[in-house]
Amino acid sequence: MKSYPRFIDPDKCTGCGQCAQVCPVTAINEFDCGLNLRAATYIQYAQAVPLAYGIDRDSCIGCGLCEKVCLAEAVSYDQRPSKAKIDVGAVVLSPGSDAFNPAKFDNYSYLKYPNVLTSLEMERILSASGPYQGHLMRPFDREEPKKIAWLQCIGSRDMNKCDHSYCSSVCCMYSIKEAVIAKEHSNVDLNCSIFYMDMRTFGKDFEKYYERAKDEGINFIRSRVHSIDEIGDTGDLSLKYVTAGGEIIDETFDMVVLSVGLEPKESAVELANNLGIELNHNNFIKTTDRDPVNTSKEGVFVCGAFQGPKDIPQSVVEASAAAAAAGEILATVRNTDTKDVELVPELNILGEPPRIGVFVCKCGTNIAGVVDVPDVTAYAATLPYVVYTTDNLYTCSQDTQEVIAKTIREENLNRIVVASCSPKTHEPMFQDTLTSCGLNKYLFEMANIRNQCSWVHANNPPLATDKSKDLVRMAVAKVGLKEPLNEISLNVKQSAMVIGGGIAGMTSALGLARQGFKTHLIEKSPQLGGQANNLFKTAKGELVQDLLADMIENVKKEENIELHLDTEVTGVEGFVGNFTSKLLTGGEESEIEHGVATVAIGGFEYQPTEYQYGNDPRIVTSLELDKKLIADDPIFKEIQTAVFIQCVGSREPDRPYCSRICCSHSVEAALEIKEKNPDANVFILNRDIRTYGEREEMYKRAREAGVLFIRYTVDQKPEVVIEDGKVIVKTFDEILGRPLEIETDLLSLATAVLPNNDVELAQFFKVAMNEDGFFVEKHAKLGPSEFATDGVFLCGLAHFPKSIDESIAQGQAAASRAVTLLAQGTVKTSGEVASINPMLCSSCGICVAVCPYSAPNFLEEGRFAGKSEINPVMCKGCGICVSSCRSGAISLKGFDNEQILAMISAA
Amino acid sequence: MSEWEPKILAFLCNWCSYGAADLAGVSRMQYPPNLRVIRIPCSGRMSPKFVLSAFMNGADGVWVSG
Amino acid sequence: MEYMGIDRDRLHFSWVSSAEASKFITVVKEVTASVKALGPATKFVKDRRQVS
Repeated sequence: MKSYPRFIDPDKCTGCGQCAQVCPVTAINEFDCGLNLRAATYIQYAQAVPLAYGIDRDSCIGCGLCEKVCLAEAVSYDQRPSKAKIDVGAVVLSPGSDAFNPAKFDNYSYLKYPNVLTSLEMERILSASGPYQGHLMRPFDREEPKKIAWLQCIGSRDMNKCDHSYCSSVCCMYSIKEAVIAKEHSNVDLNCSIFYMDMRTFGKDFEKYYERAKDEGINFIRSRVHSIDEIGDTGDLSLKYVTAGGEIIDETFDMVVLSVGLEPKESAVELANNLGIELNHNNFIKTTDRDPVNTSKEGVFVCGAFQGPKDIPQSVVEASAAAAAAGEILATVRNTDTKDVELVPELNILGEPPRIGVFVCKCGTNIAGVVDVPDVTAYAATLPYVVYTTDNLYTCSQDTQEVIAKTIREENLNRIVVASCSPKTHEPMFQDTLTSCGLNKYLFEMANIRNQCSWVHANNPPLATDKSKDLVRMAVAKVGLKEPLNEISLNVKQSAMVIGGGIAGMTSALGLARQGFKTHLIEKSPQLGGQANNLFKTAKGELVQDLLADMIENVKKEENIELHLDTEVTGVEGFVGNFTSKLLTGGEESEIEHGVATVAIGGFEYQPTEYQYGNDPRIVTSLELDKKLIADDPIFKEIQTAVFIQCVGSREPDRPYCSRICCSHSVEAALEIKEKNPDANVFILNRDIRTYGEREEMYKRAREAGVLFIRYTVDQKPEVVIEDGKVIVKTFDEILGRPLEIETDLLSLATAVLPNNDVELAQFFKVAMNEDGFFVEKHAKLGPSEFATDGVFLCGLAHFPKSIDESIAQGQAAASRAVTLLAQGTVKTSGEVASINPMLCSSCGICVAVCPYSAPNFLEEGRFAGKSEINPVMCKGCGICVSSCRSGAISLKGFDNEQILAMISAA
Repeated sequence: MSEWEPKILAFLCNWCSYGAADLAGVSRMQYPPNLRVIRIPCSGRMSPKFVLSAFMNGADGVWVSG
Repeated sequence: MEYMGIDRDRLHFSWVSSAEASKFITVVKEVTASVKALGPATKFVKDRRQVS
């Protein structure tokens, strides 16, 4: 491992930014895609973690100013690259991807015209922290554009030059998003046009966003733009393109955005080569659908866009999956390299009057340069119950922590206020200092006089000082009312329940079991496998039945898995770490205890009522077709013609989502038919072909094999008639501009994927479903495999339609998320939780209804039966119940009415 | 004081607007110094009681931001 | 609030994400300007003085 020097010690750097202010150098800001400038001492972007500066030695002139102004003494010019060796049991590669560089080709005119931008540059322009502070402007003359065009598939789905043949998966969606946001940021009625080949909005809720964008007036034009020319020296751009109807159009835009795709990083390719890991022909890591995060080298795993082009949710799923895969091989050595923290017994301050200590930070010159710190410190000493005050150069530095601890002991302080920066970044650190000398960490409050005074009122020092005094007074008023709070710690039962024995559920169960946790796998049918029992091949051509047989065998021989077939869950009680579930197996009831639960109840195929389904054996659904393929039905040798109709039951007004997998499935099946019978005529009637990612190459192969793709629109759907024993499909071909009739021997309907819509189960775990009946995950991007309810996880079709490899990855992800909880052994509550006074509770149930985390519940027995009670383990301390409680029975520790009112009256 | 300046109490959600206030500081953006910020865990914690109390204690304006 | 005699322009609600520092500034300026335009709030403060 080689670490490159950043010339500023991130441990010492306080992120004050003095160094960047004095730096005389101007360099190009790469993060803003070169649209503005930065100094040589810089921070890549304002939210960077750690918030520490670095020096770009390539542009640094070595003047030494930054070292002079750095009061934290963090600058050291003589840092050298350092090498380190670490022993690890597994490696995860997540180097990400690069954006395609359109400068390589002059046909995109990217370098020629300043108003031709990449989508990444557009992101920065739209960003509030970007080069134009979120004002929509074009680079050429800083004018507000009135008309913007997005060109899709730049560097993707194209083999003309050295572009990429695959689809980059993410560009359709981000372009729609950019167009919507651009319209929001614009002061005029902005005209946005997106030029595309197929609109690929296949993700969860993406199709709805696409429909919304159409309603908001964004133009979607199905055409590949032929040329971009600048009109004189106006900066305006003329686009020539041909419409689907064959009309040639010349249209003028103020700005053109190239929707560039993803490609593997050169440095990542080099790394993979050095490690001896196989790449595929696109230079992505070679993986299988069976083990989507395993590389060719044992113990090395991959996740994210280096595995193949993908969006954030799928990258997050794979990241967790890679962690699970690594965890499986490391399960036996878990916690062998960790250290236990020594606990100091807590002081009892009950009944003592407050003795408040106030520490005012100068933050070098960051605060002291504007705010009169000695004045604020002296003022603090006059406040009630304040017995000690001081100021520090850097209150957050390590030596100051020792001073604070010493002072707490010597002065018998029992409440601490630090007036410095943001509690969001520094509160935990100061709380550790309190804990280290036995003071409860909740007896602490911060006044944010840096971010809210000195930095933002730099030109008005007297007012900034006054405001600092106010903030200190408010903090002192609050801290005086603070009480020590307990963090309850509860044991987590070291076992799991997985509901659903399909691909996702079995993968999840195996992941949990292999990491050493007893797992109950519940399947309501008599056999494992779920929908995979009906599937023929994966997108990479692997036989699903072989994969499934191996997986079932692994489940059956796994000692940690207890299999419950023919079993339904009839009741769930408890909460994270302590669930008790009732099972019903063939009329017999049983009960199991488990610490976590995974919902993998899958989905099923829509049974069509349209296209004459059920009236002729030659008309089948996708799964029925796969059954024929699995059985190697002889009809494939005989058929002359096969027709596929896409979007059967999907992307309709009453079922507005795209089922994601049907395009790839039909293309794959069409190829299979062509292979068995090269002379057969195969047609795929579609609205868009959504073979995202590297599946696009399958689409290309199908076109090369002679499969015909005919587009239809939702207002003019194909018709199927059965006449004289013949199945005839009628449709309108928009390219030929006339109706078509196809007599077919086989009609496959690409039917929608429906969720199992188990409302009862959703109520058992108090988890939400969306209007389509799919479960709602904790966070659409960052928490795709877990619920907002702690201890309950999600994977497979129950989350959203997905392919086998994606179900496997999410099964692993759900296991990984569950193991992070199980492996801790205990769950610790925050002290800042809500609690109910049962004497005041009127049992109205508002708190039970409003809580997003299902923490309140009615007590069933005891003295206060019927009253509501809040489970501190599940409470996140948001306080919504407190303000909703009409009886005033709920209080939120740490943010109680009295404490907030004290701040208000002190303000 | 040359001109009357109002006192405004701001109730900011810890996860949203409080973060924005922090970031505004990091970015050294300048704004009028009339705000006194009270951090709340979530805008759901907000109660009409706090608004009334603020006005009773002499605030000239209240801003609640999630 | 209006029932209580508090001017609508004294109480503001908004939603700002933690990354939207510039929106934060915009709203701060708007809120300050609108409250400033109304002049000092006297409603409750005066009431209380009368009581005491």
